[in-house]
Amino acid sequence: MILTLFAVLALIPDLLVGALQTAVSATGGRLQPPTVQHLLGTDEIGRDMLNLTVHGTRVSMLIGLLATAITVFLGGVIGVVAGFVGGRTDAILARITDFFLVLPTFVLALILAPIIADVIGTGSVFLGVRTTLVVIVIVVGITSWASTARIIRAQTLSLKERPFVDRARVIGAGPTHIMVRHILPNVVNLIVANAVLVFAGAVLTETTLSFVGLGDPFQPSWGQILNAAEEIGAPSLGAWWYFVPAGACIVLVVFAFTLVGTALDDLLNPRRRSRR
Amino acid sequence: MRFLARRVAQALLTIGFIVIVNFVLFRAMPGSPERILARNPNVSPAAIQQTRERWGIDKPLIPEQLVAYLVATAQGDLGFSFSSRGRPVTEVIAGRLGPTLLLFGLGEVIAIVVGLGLGAYTGWRRGGPVDLVGNGVSLVLYSMPYFLLGMILLLVFASTLHWLPTFGMTTLGRTYDSALAYLGDLAAHLVLPVATVALGLIGQYSILMRSSIIETLNDEYITTARAKGIPSGRILRAHALPNALLPAVSLIAINLGYVVAGAITVEVVFNWPGLGTLTIEALSARDYPVLQGVFLALSISVVLANLFADLIYGRLDPRVRS
Repeated sequence: MILTLFAVLALIPDLLVGALQTAVSATGGRLQPPTVQHLLGTDEIGRDMLNLTVHGTRVSMLIGLLATAITVFLGGVIGVVAGFVGGRTDAILARITDFFLVLPTFVLALILAPIIADVIGTGSVFLGVRTTLVVIVIVVGITSWASTARIIRAQTLSLKERPFVDRARVIGAGPTHIMVRHILPNVVNLIVANAVLVFAGAVLTETTLSFVGLGDPFQPSWGQILNAAEEIGAPSLGAWWYFVPAGACIVLVVFAFTLVGTALDDLLNPRRRSRR
Repeated sequence: MRFLARRVAQALLTIGFIVIVNFVLFRAMPGSPERILARNPNVSPAAIQQTRERWGIDKPLIPEQLVAYLVATAQGDLGFSFSSRGRPVTEVIAGRLGPTLLLFGLGEVIAIVVGLGLGAYTGWRRGGPVDLVGNGVSLVLYSMPYFLLGMILLLVFASTLHWLPTFGMTTLGRTYDSALAYLGDLAAHLVLPVATVALGLIGQYSILMRSSIIETLNDEYITTARAKGIPSGRILRAHALPNALLPAVSLIAINLGYVVAGAITVEVVFNWPGLGTLTIEALSARDYPVLQGVFLALSISVVLANLFADLIYGRLDPRVRS
């Protein structure tokens, strides 16, 4: 239910609330409380908050999706390779994974973001997404793959001992072939379950990164809206309409995805299932 | 003893790795320290030459520059801040440490006591009214970014009800008659930030403790204790709690890294003059030495906290030592 609603908001914002308003096309007065014309009030330059929040859905969802893709890809590859190849490769990869698990990755993300931004430049558009946001996607991807890798590695370790893997090896399949054709299909359900949880985390991380000023004002996500609200001091001014709707959206999405993710995990993760 | 040595060695290895990551980032950074200085017309050629020598920039990257960096870091020399008139990074960070420790120490202690207590109770009375409400609230708190919680608390208690001050650590420009008046003002400013940190963490901790205690209650020794006719309150206190607390201890330590992220944003919301606001100031000024200093300091403290938790765990549960 919740997820369908947000999917609709993300897919067709223009049909629902019109094009994203800018300082020029703003339709209301400055920082007005909710009225009939502006159901969620306006921001400090008169843009309709409903318009901004609905458009924010697309940006937040898109960043979350792309970041999840990178995270799951990195985690899946590292997990399968570490688990399957074993030996020294595994030892090194497991060390790196542990390192990323312990590290305050958010602070690392804060350092990486400006560095990556300076390397690839900001302001241009890449695949319809502004590069500032691409930076966020990359940074979230780099810093959050570790837990996925750990889960996939554990599963690969147990799959490796199964007879069908031996059989494939006896027929003469190479390690790459076994990993892609035999191990991967068997960890895919685990990856999917994990991806849902990763998505919730990615939305949260994106929100936090945007909140501290790494977002893009020209493609505002929910986090960016919260950042703008914080900068003009909306909480102290009592301008609740500025940040409560976007905040509620974040909580709902993260909450829904966490519930779905945990449920899927219980269903699909063999370790969890055996415990109940 | 060997357990202890192994854990300490692991922690040292991790710290070493962090320092090296920091070094690599320092080099990956757009513009070496000397180039950034050279951009500033007020910096004399002598100062630039000094920087070049200090970081060994005319020497090869490995080993000379790495060694120079490692030696400097080990001596607590983290370079100089770009934005605060070239003060040493160590000094800048040290000045912001106190407020952060105060805020997070208090928040963490409250969260551990209340969160673990709530989790234990809801797990014990699973399905009861407290469990339903408590678990729901915990899940919502868990899905909420800390700063959003902070903004809402600020909106409700400071700008709508006017009960508490909105920002800073003390009232600006106020002079105090006595130490007590100062402490009172500080306490009023502390309430909301600490509440934010504590509430955010309580969500996590109570969910964690709840599932841990539910799992423990399914164990055989609990059934044995029940069969022996031990009263249920005693089973909870003497049999279930100590065992359920074990995973909680290590998970709290593991989660510390995420807490740090929340910490930074809470400070921003309340304008708390700690490491978090320092990080954000450094971020917007692209003050890389300070950012890296903060990263180093926070990572090392997280690693040490993990080591500490491991050692406690080893003390509480002899099985992990082998």
